[in-house]
Amino acid sequence: MASVASRRTLIGGMTVIGLVVLWFGLTTFTGLVTGARFPSPAEFWLSLKQINGRGYAGSTLASHAFHSLKLVLMGFTVAVLTGVPLGLWMGWNRRVEAFINPVFLIIRPIPPLAWIPLAILWLGLGDAAKILVIWFSAFVPSVINAFTGVRNIDKPILEAARMLGTPRLRMVREVILPASLPMIFTGLRLSLQASWTTLVAAELVGALVGVGFVLNMAQQDIYPGMILVGMVTVGILGWVTTLLLARVERRALAWNVAARD
Amino acid sequence: MGSISFRNVDKVFGHGTGGVKALDDINLDIADKEFVAIVGPSGCGKTTCLRMVAGFEAASAGSVLVNGRPVTAPGPDRAVVFQQFALFPWKTVRENIELGLRNKNLPVGERNDLVASALKLMNLETHVDAFPHQLSGGMQQRVAIARAYVLDPEVLLMDEPFGALDAQTRVVMQEELVRLARHNPRTVLFITHAVEEAVYLADRVAIMTRRPGRIKEVLDIKAVRERENWDSHARIEDVMDLESFVHLRTHIWKSLREEKGFKDV
Repeated sequence: MASVASRRTLIGGMTVIGLVVLWFGLTTFTGLVTGARFPSPAEFWLSLKQINGRGYAGSTLASHAFHSLKLVLMGFTVAVLTGVPLGLWMGWNRRVEAFINPVFLIIRPIPPLAWIPLAILWLGLGDAAKILVIWFSAFVPSVINAFTGVRNIDKPILEAARMLGTPRLRMVREVILPASLPMIFTGLRLSLQASWTTLVAAELVGALVGVGFVLNMAQQDIYPGMILVGMVTVGILGWVTTLLLARVERRALAWNVAARD
Repeated sequence: MGSISFRNVDKVFGHGTGGVKALDDINLDIADKEFVAIVGPSGCGKTTCLRMVAGFEAASAGSVLVNGRPVTAPGPDRAVVFQQFALFPWKTVRENIELGLRNKNLPVGERNDLVASALKLMNLETHVDAFPHQLSGGMQQRVAIARAYVLDPEVLLMDEPFGALDAQTRVVMQEELVRLARHNPRTVLFITHAVEEAVYLADRVAIMTRRPGRIKEVLDIKAVRERENWDSHARIEDVMDLESFVHLRTHIWKSLREEKGFKDV
């Protein structure tokens, strides 16, 4: 197994090196792609130095990134704290599902990004509008996966818990919640992805700070180097937060055979 | 005390013309501390009988009584051992066994003593902190049996508990269950489609017909066992070699063969 894993790393590393060589080749060495279309590595580096030094679009990269990260985490947290309990409740209680499901069926086909204009109209260009939109987009996967998690619980497990005389609250905390946890985490991963997508879109449309705002300004300034900086930053932020979530998941699901590996 | 009575019990699944009659006029009385096995062809409704005593299903007609009172809901006085173990995968062995005692609000000290003796009873002491997925099937079923026994239930309901185990593990578990049942007798309703298992374990064996299931015949095994002194043989294969055992087994086999649609084994 170890040799397969290391071979995979090797191949992956070669792909990355190949891409960098291709990047140099197409821009700096041959000039097939001009700096007006896509920045060369040198231009990218200069843009990075500029935004880290003097700043760009009002502040440094770190503070843009920090601001975006903060909004994503806030929106994601609100979405999870509301969505997971609702999904569990719907899964457990068919009457609740009957009440709420129609609302879902109406709202679900509306892409979360379509809420952005309304959110800006209500709450302006500040943080509140963005958190609201992230909430809309991250809420749905949290609800649906928590719901599915409850519905897919092995029936004998519930019967065993009832046979043991498990009272209601303990049933939720020690049986239903952990049994649904693998599906809940699937929902959280999708919610996190949705949070980043929505935030960048919202910042592109209207913002005064943030990575999406950097992208928007760089586009208006026709500044490909800075656009790439913004893109790479969002990519890294998304990657790191996903990695952290996966680590939490591994710890929370240590008992789960399917989650190991 | 733990007696079980089926009184004219019918069970129909579904409604109206689409309904399927699973059980037809079941009558069976199981005395306190008696071990009764029900055998029957697949789909004859034997598991449904157990699930009605457990409180997971309600009878469509007639009544299911435990200690003379109708069953209304599941409860720890009727502990169930499931075919697929039904352990909580996120709980350790100790936590699985302990849950029922916590639900009874027993003080910690008493709880620990009971868990310790259940662990000892099922030879699980070295696996206290393991999660179910780290254990073999046989070990998992030991945990499930310990989880049931620790409740000190009036009635123990076992639904093909060894059906998911390999042949060797199965034999070990059967021997252990006999040891348990003889030293610590309690009312047991045991569902199986393995004829030898039923004869080896039970005081009486009830044979069911194919669907809709009826009780066809009830055999008194205990009388034969005591007369022929089966319990003087420690090993299952020695018991299974006895003429009296073979005789009973063959009788049940023939009775089951008469049921069309009997495809097991």
